[in-house]
Amino acid sequence: MDRLLRLVTLLLGAIFLVLLFISLRLMIEDPFLPSDDNSAIPGKSFQYSFFLPASDNSFFQSVRDGALQAARELDCAVIFHSLSPDNLSFEMASYSGTNGVAVFSYQKNQATVANLEKILKKGIPIVQIEDEMVSSPNTVLIGTSSYDSGKSIAKIAMLTEKPKLNLGLIYSEKNPALRADASLVEIGIKSIMGERLKTLYTEQTTFNPIDAEGVIHELLQRVPAVDIIALTDSNDTLVAIQAIIDLNLVGQVQIIGFGDERTIQDYVDKGVVLGTIVRNPTEIGYRAVAALKEMNTTGNTSAYVNTGINIITDKSAPAGAGGIQ
Amino acid sequence: MKRNSLKVRLLLYLSISMVIMVFSLGFILIYSLDLQNIAFFRFQEEHDFQELQARLTDLQQPLETYLTDRSSAALARLLFLIETVREQVPPARPINSDPAYLLKREVYFLIDAYLAQVNQIIELKRGRKVTEYIDSYNELTKLSTHISAQIDQISLHGFRVQLAEYRNFLTLFRRIQYQNLLLIIVATAFAYSLLMQMVNKITGPMLQLSGMASQLSNGNFDVPDVHVASVNEVNQVSLAFNQMKESIHHYISELQKQTEMEQQVMTERLRNLRMEQLLKRMELYTMQAQMNPHFLFNTLNTGVQLAIVEEADKTADFMENLAALFRHNIREKKFFVPLEHEIQGLKSYYAILQIRFPKTLRLILDFDETALQGFSCPAMILQPLVENSVLHAFSHIDRMGTVTVSVRRDASVLVISVSDDGIGMPPELVRDLLTPHTHDYQLSSKVMGLENVIQRCYFFYPDQKDVIDIKTTQGRGTEIAIRIHTEVEPCIEL
Repeated sequence: MDRLLRLVTLLLGAIFLVLLFISLRLMIEDPFLPSDDNSAIPGKSFQYSFFLPASDNSFFQSVRDGALQAARELDCAVIFHSLSPDNLSFEMASYSGTNGVAVFSYQKNQATVANLEKILKKGIPIVQIEDEMVSSPNTVLIGTSSYDSGKSIAKIAMLTEKPKLNLGLIYSEKNPALRADASLVEIGIKSIMGERLKTLYTEQTTFNPIDAEGVIHELLQRVPAVDIIALTDSNDTLVAIQAIIDLNLVGQVQIIGFGDERTIQDYVDKGVVLGTIVRNPTEIGYRAVAALKEMNTTGNTSAYVNTGINIITDKSAPAGAGGIQ
Repeated sequence: MKRNSLKVRLLLYLSISMVIMVFSLGFILIYSLDLQNIAFFRFQEEHDFQELQARLTDLQQPLETYLTDRSSAALARLLFLIETVREQVPPARPINSDPAYLLKREVYFLIDAYLAQVNQIIELKRGRKVTEYIDSYNELTKLSTHISAQIDQISLHGFRVQLAEYRNFLTLFRRIQYQNLLLIIVATAFAYSLLMQMVNKITGPMLQLSGMASQLSNGNFDVPDVHVASVNEVNQVSLAFNQMKESIHHYISELQKQTEMEQQVMTERLRNLRMEQLLKRMELYTMQAQMNPHFLFNTLNTGVQLAIVEEADKTADFMENLAALFRHNIREKKFFVPLEHEIQGLKSYYAILQIRFPKTLRLILDFDETALQGFSCPAMILQPLVENSVLHAFSHIDRMGTVTVSVRRDASVLVISVSDDGIGMPPELVRDLLTPHTHDYQLSSKVMGLENVIQRCYFFYPDQKDVIDIKTTQGRGTEIAIRIHTEVEPCIEL
């Protein structure tokens, strides 16, 4: 009896200690436990503010990913702000204690320029993505050349067998850089296509994610002889593809897409899309942070960083005419 | 105070149990308060920002008042509020990768800018730079609007985060509550088992002692000692109990020995008393018996002389034998006499009996007188035995009766036998006769004859149960044999 009681006591004591240990561990490791400071999170040297359009398309998401990757590798912190129509947060950026600003500005107007100058006046370095609005030793332009973009569109268009091509080019407010440098894009196209370009028709979509369908319908009604439609936004590409399928014009009207979303690549593989232009948004985000840190630490950096452009075409296309580049 | 004493042990075990319980309850209380703090803290930061926002709004009114009428009271109020807001903003703002924190950090810088802007406006107002302070005021308004928007965003973000985590928090809280309940139950059981162990340590030995006491009360002193390992007091009690058991055992053994000895002494004394009483009675009896024989002896001598004078020879012989018998009886005052004396007396008695029963009684003496010399026997045993046969063995018998007296030696045993061919004895009578009398047996005046002889034999040879034996058969006769071990001394001085 004595032995049993002693055994039970020992057992209960052991269980008590185990439970106490578990409770203590639970208490210490409580994920909701408040911390008075942020010392648990490693400190960073610089904080950079990214101002990007309030869009969740993959392009900007990749820019964010690239920036965050660079922040992790380069001992920086990054905060993202949406560019609102009133641009108030952008306007107040100079007061926010940031060490650098990266902006993808889609509204090239005086207010934007004034805000950029206000930031520069505070000695804060600026990275301008795709579109350069102000220029100073404290600014960097990162992105793709509009001329190169035009040339890439033309290269894909040249894969078709028709000797003369009517090309419809759809700009978009969602990609203001290309729209702003429309002349450079068109020069690039013409420099490659030469005599094969019969007529170039240009249209423009807004921020509305589905208005590309209406634009396509209107263009095809107006100019039924259009052979190729080139898009400058990935969302517009997806909407245009669906419109062509609905109009039963697959094969008759070719599409040159924009972006490397999985769906677009699938359509390329199926031959619905002739090819797609891919910029390197991750690289853009990464290079933006790297440039800001370089300016913060050394005081200067390259004024222009070209992140390049890729073309994706159907793998079954004739050799030398396309393929993934 | 000894470490192993009951008091210290009780205090120790109670203290341990209390400490366990208090510790467990305290731990759970602290844990609960901690959880409450966590819940409070989750909204504390948002609350602080709201307060900061309210202070900034409060700042607007004295600023406008000052800019309107340059009131010193408004200025004082304004400066006070500026300092209050500045104190609320943390001066150290390290950078980390937490987006929520970065947003707050930006707000702190915006508030710094806001306060600087207010100071700048005050200076511009003092300097009467109207255009500049109006522009600055516009900028301040934008800044204020942006700060409010940012704080709202922080609050909204915080609220969303808290809302998302609320379910997890509740799950964790519930888990902690269950675990703490289990902890309390186990702690209570643990404390209870500790106390039980203590109680068992005391009651266990007590039960053993109780069992031992029960055994002792039943007279079993062979029960083994109780050896316990308990508190000092109980250990001492068990030790004392063992010693007490040994002492009682020893005392009772001594008492038993003493009682046995006393009993032996008492038995001896009783035997002596009985012997003494018998001796006295026998002495009295002898004295009484001597009185009458002397008178009769003298009378018989007178009768013999008278018979001689009258020339009655037969009567003279009878009277002479009778006188010889009486002389024999009177002469033997000792307990033991030579055997030839007894035979001599028997012959006188036989001569008388031949005159009385000349046709119906025959006495046969079957022994060699010369061979019997040197042997002794209790006095007056042969004549009473023969007399008994003559008186009782031949009642209602018309034929000749024979009484045979034989004396012989069987190794060291002298066997004296008196047998007859009479009617025999009933078995009940034989059993009664052969029963030795106890000391309280009431001797009567009739204790004579056969019974007298038997009891005297038992008296002289108490350890020799076969000293006398009666063999009888109904209608065939009786033999009474006395067996005297010649090497055994009788228990009386001769």
